[in-house]
Formats: sequence, C-alpha cells, structure tokens
Amino acid sequence: MQLKPGAAQLRRRLIAASCALLSTPPARSQENPDPGLVGRFLQAWQFESALAYYHEDGRIQAVEPVVSASHDYGDGGNVSLNFTFDALSGSSPNGALPSHAPQTFTAASAKSFASARRVYTTAPGNLPVDPNFSDGRAAFGADWTLPLTRLSRFTLGGKASIEDDFYSTTVNIAFAHDFNNKNTTVSFGADAEGDIIHPVGKTPVPLSDYAAFSREGDKSKTGAGALFGVTQVMTRNWLTQLNVSVDRFTGYLNDPYKIVTVLAAGGDTAGYEYENRPDSRTRKSAYLENRVGGAHVSADLSLRYMTDSWGIRSQTAQIRMRLWSPSRQHYIEPTTRWYHQSAADFFNPWLAAADAGSTRYISSDPRLATFHALTYGLKYGYDLGDRLHRSNSEFTVRVEYYRQTLEVDKPVPVALQGLDLYPGLKAVFVQFGFSY
Amino acid sequence: MKRLTILTVLTLGCAALTGCSSLGVKPWQRDILSRSDMRPNGAGLDDAIDEHVYFSKEGSSGGRTFGGGGCGCN
Repeated sequence: MQLKPGAAQLRRRLIAASCALLSTPPARSQENPDPGLVGRFLQAWQFESALAYYHEDGRIQAVEPVVSASHDYGDGGNVSLNFTFDALSGSSPNGALPSHAPQTFTAASAKSFASARRVYTTAPGNLPVDPNFSDGRAAFGADWTLPLTRLSRFTLGGKASIEDDFYSTTVNIAFAHDFNNKNTTVSFGADAEGDIIHPVGKTPVPLSDYAAFSREGDKSKTGAGALFGVTQVMTRNWLTQLNVSVDRFTGYLNDPYKIVTVLAAGGDTAGYEYENRPDSRTRKSAYLENRVGGAHVSADLSLRYMTDSWGIRSQTAQIRMRLWSPSRQHYIEPTTRWYHQSAADFFNPWLAAADAGSTRYISSDPRLATFHALTYGLKYGYDLGDRLHRSNSEFTVRVEYYRQTLEVDKPVPVALQGLDLYPGLKAVFVQFGFSY
Repeated sequence: MKRLTILTVLTLGCAALTGCSSLGVKPWQRDILSRSDMRPNGAGLDDAIDEHVYFSKEGSSGGRTFGGGGCGCN
C-alpha cells in the first residue's frame, strides 16, 4: 500500500530535501573531486624541467635533463629540490699540439703503450683529441628557506654529484634581510665544497713523462666561498643587483687527462708531459645586474669582473631582451654574451725541452689561455597558463651558438708553422623547457 | 691601510643604504617587478645550465650565485 502525503507534509519534505542538497558534501565533491595524493602534490609544488643538448664542432656532445621542484609555504618559507643528469661522449682535446707528423696516444685507462687496449693516432695537422671520451654525471641539490622575521630569512642548502671519476658535496647557507619597505635586500652567503678525484687509469704524476705511465692514487680538493649581495628596487620598472664574492680552493686542481707537448730546440715534438697547476686558487668577483621592464618588454643586462690568484682576469657582459606578444601568450628572447679572459700565469701551449727540468707549473689547457668568446641565442616561450589552468606554466625552446677564439701570440717555431695550433671552439646548444 | 679600506667600505655601504631609502616603490607599484622575468636569478634553469656550460669551457665562473663547482669538468 502506498501512502500519499498531504500538501503540508510534502512541503516539509521538499524543504528538508533542499536543505540537504545545499549542505550535502557529495554535491561539492562532484564539482571538485578529491585530487588524490599525487594531485595534491602537483597542486602544492611548482615544477620546472629542461632537456638540453650541447654539441661541439667535431668534439664533445652532451645531453642534460634537469628537473626542479619547489614549494612555497606561504609565510616566506620555501623548499626546492633539483636533479640533473649529464651524459657526455665524443672527442676531448688532450692538450698536445698539432704536428706535421702523425702522433700516437693511448686512452687514459692504459698502463703502457704495449698493453693499451685503445690506442689512437692523430693525423698530421689535426688537434690531438681523445676519441674515447665518455662520462656520466648525476647531481642532486636541495635548498630550504626559513623565514626568521617578516623581513629576514635563512637558507640552508646542499648538493651532491657523482661522476665516473669525480665525487662532490657542497653545503651552503645564506641570510637575507629586507630594508626600506622591501625595496632593498642585503644578503650574505657562504659555501663549502669537498671533492674526490678518481681519474680513469689512476692519477698521473704531475710533470711526469707521458710514456712512463707513472700513476698515483685518488686525489681531493676542498673549497670555501662567501658572497655578499645588495638588491635594490630603483623604480617601478628597474631593479639592480650587485654581488661581490670570494672563494678559495686547495688540493688537486690539475686536469688529470691533460698533457703538454715537449718541443726540441728546432720545434720538433720530443715527447709529452702531464700538466701541473698550483694547489691553491683564490678567486674574487664583482657582478652587477640590471633588469628593466615595460608592459610587453623586459631586458636584463649583467656585467661581471673576475680575477684569480692564477693571473686570470675576465670580463663578461650579457644582455637578454624579452619581447611579449600583445596578448602575452608568446615571447621571444634574443640574447648576446661577450666574454674575455687573460691567460693564467702558467699557461703555455708547449714546453721547451730545455725548460723541462726547471718548470714547476704548466698547462696547455685552452680554458686557461687568453681568449674571447661570443654567444648568440634566441628563446621562444609559450604561456600555458590558460590551457593548464595554472600560472607560471610555460613551454620554451632556446637555441644558442657559442664561439671561442684563442688569442695566443707566442712566436711559433719553424717546425710548427703552417699548422692551426689554436683552433678555438664552436658549439651549438638546444634546450627544451617545460614548467608547471 | 687595511683598516682604512674596511672603514671606507663600511662608510660607503652605510651611505649607500641611506641613499637607497629614497629609492624604490610603494607596494601597489610592484606590478611589473613581480613578474618572473623581473626577478633576480629569474631565469632559473636557463642560468643553471648556462653556468654549467661556461664553467666547463672557461676559466671563470660564478658571480651571480656561488661559483659553479660540483663538476669534474674543469
């Protein structure tokens, strides 16, 4: 039997049902379903990722995926994590000079010419490069920023990286304080680094004859640095930052795979020796950055001067300009960087046989030579905020071209004339980025 | 001489901070400054990757933040 309720009873039930509908949690959960553990994690964290490909003309190539994640606590606190992986392969210059005669070398793992599994010969006129170069690197870093007061914060960070032949750990701390209605920020940071060098084929004895295969055990180096910075809001469109920093490394600072050509009096190759660098290095730098922006354009000009106890003085200038489309959906960012450095005191492209016994420090590594370098780049960015319903979400791609030109003016012996002794470096760099 | 240098730096630093107090903007004028492309070190991974490349190919590094390191590439 079915009961037919009266009009008053029906009205009460309708009112009760309406109230139940208005207050029912399931109705809300249908509109905003629980995102779950992964969803909540994705909502709470900001992610940035990049895949970079680096290719040198006839030498090294590298692939580098990077992922970083950061989370703001809303009170000025922040935690960030990052992971980097590098895979390098190709041909790496071994430090020897080109020659009019063929030159024969072994891979770094060899214990003698006779027993070497991999021997490579460099054709006349070519720069000697080890074609067996291969390395992988995994690095993990974390930073935790803790607000101390409404205007000051403290950051504690660390980084660890592992390569086939190199292990490194770094810790860093920083303190920052805002003044003048947060228009001025003064910061101070310090870091300490400890590295272990475990070269393939063990560590060559510095200045030893390349053909003697004299080897030592693992080496280490330590470093410490400090950085003082001031950031100032100048106007509504202009921000400037000045940093001064100093760091010092002590221990094994050689490149264990680099040798130096030993030349006889006439300029003919008499042999090769392993390089040797001083066991300490102190660097000082000043860095100035200016950012100016308008509604659809911004520019970043940075200048750096650096000097070190090895005699290297370097100057760097870089400008980036970001140009937005009227809708701010797209932007392009051309960039140019100019770099110049003077040579380390002990840089020498070759070692005269007559000086072999008296030379304490020598390296022919072009990274310690006098040179200038230019970078030209272009980046394109597409704002994904509307599509993904998330601010600061974008896809980017950038391409850069890097060219290094050596400026070695040492007189060339007759036996080496006609050779391109300092070919420099050309590299192309492509990077895809996605932030969410 | 060293004491004089420290005194000069401290004096200039205080003068600069005092001078800075007349610069800057009000909180409601930070619309452009709050954009990611206007933040110091705002280039994020781009700067980190660039630093790694230049660290491995040049004799200088750092300045913007702590100077490279953590890599056997130099």
